Amino acid sequence: MNALEINQLSKSFPHFTLGPLNLALPSGCIMGLVGENGAGKSTTFKLILNMLRSDSGTISILGKDNRENLRMVQEDIGVVLDEVGLPECLNAKEVSAIMRRTFRNWNNAEYIRLLDRLSLPENKPFKDFSRGMKMKLGIAIALSHGSKLLLLDEATSGLDPVVRDEISEMFLDFTRSEDHSILISSHIVSDLEKLCDIIAFLHNGKLLLCEEKDRLLAEYALAHCTLEQLNALPAEAVRCAKTSPYGAEAMVLRHAVPAGIALSPISIEELFVFMAKEAKEQ
Amino acid sequence: MSGLLLKDFYMTIRYCRTYLFIAIAFIALSFASSNSVFFIFYPCLLCGMIPVNLLGYDERSRWSEYSATLPYSRAQLVSSKYLIGLLAQFAMLVATGITQALRGNRTALYQGYGLLPMLLMLFIASTITPAISLPFLFKLGAEKGRIAYLVMVAIMCAAIFVGTELIGDQFMRALHFQTILPLLCIAEVLIYALSWLLSIHFYKNREL
Repeated sequence: MNALEINQLSKSFPHFTLGPLNLALPSGCIMGLVGENGAGKSTTFKLILNMLRSDSGTISILGKDNRENLRMVQEDIGVVLDEVGLPECLNAKEVSAIMRRTFRNWNNAEYIRLLDRLSLPENKPFKDFSRGMKMKLGIAIALSHGSKLLLLDEATSGLDPVVRDEISEMFLDFTRSEDHSILISSHIVSDLEKLCDIIAFLHNGKLLLCEEKDRLLAEYALAHCTLEQLNALPAEAVRCAKTSPYGAEAMVLRHAVPAGIALSPISIEELFVFMAKEAKEQ
Repeated sequence: MSGLLLKDFYMTIRYCRTYLFIAIAFIALSFASSNSVFFIFYPCLLCGMIPVNLLGYDERSRWSEYSATLPYSRAQLVSSKYLIGLLAQFAMLVATGITQALRGNRTALYQGYGLLPMLLMLFIASTITPAISLPFLFKLGAEKGRIAYLVMVAIMCAAIFVGTELIGDQFMRALHFQTILPLLCIAEVLIYALSWLLSIHFYKNREL
């Protein structure tokens, strides 16, 4: 079963249109939504959560339509937005008292364990938390009520590399269970590369690609060559290229490149930058 | 919905602490003063502002967005604000009622109307502000909603002024206040209920 299914989703604003968007997140997987600022990542999250009304298309969360059954489904989803959104005057203990009365499956022991693991104080007001601490508290809440799906919009931004690594471990632990899935967006593509099974690229409201990460890394490579070699490459091999007076760097399909061209593995970040550039040129 | 009420209770204690201190001080002053209409009414008017202020704080902290991700309906999110407002107003009416009853019939207001009519007047005064302002806030957000509310109040004041000019003072004096007070109370209950429903309707259709 797919934890999340988006079909032909679209939403228009005066200066921006998202979609039509089609995405499927299988249960047990982590999907990374990558895109520049204003690409439509947060809009996608808001449409999933019914905070915005779509112009067309359908969204199904854990097998249920988000417009008809969202409240029921919200018991099973943990959400962290780019701003956590807790009132500044509350502390972690008071948040627990509120969430205990909010979620039927609230697990206070797990919440206390996570606060301890993430070194979060129980009695300090939220307004005195650093951005990283705020995010960690949001993540602790999302993981303390038996969620089956985590929706994380820029949830790791503002965290230092050590904590990001620790949080990534927690997300990987979370998806060990087959019915647990994560949709995560981030600017820090290297984090997503470590974490995700599936990568989706959003650019200017359009989905450039949605593919298994391992397949992408196996399929694409970076070619370092001269301008003459670049021009001699078959057109179907080259997705996008950067040239300079000293040579060329191209994103290529491995299987279509003739022998003799030096290829190196491509990172997800490089792949995204090339694809965004290609989309801009078109 | 008890989670939402608890959160609003925590926020009221922290953010509206000054209101509570002022209210207690004014209730004490109303106990000491013989002509204490202002001291009696002011705490109740302050209580009417509590849900309006809480909404402003919710928007600033982006709770408005976060709460939409929690298992609450939009109707519950709206209702918590009306309920916390009613609870605060009820507490203030009880406190004022006890103070005035203890003080007996020595205040002009008490002497003029008696305890129950006085409390009914306070109820109207404390609920009219949130009843008119909350639908604007739920429709337009805290900032634009406040401006729309002020424009609405200015229009209402102008309409009342023009109305009294047309009807004339004599008609207004002829109205027996004790007789129309129950009608005003019923009208206020209806306005409050209508405001509640309107806010739910606006918030259900609002994009966050």
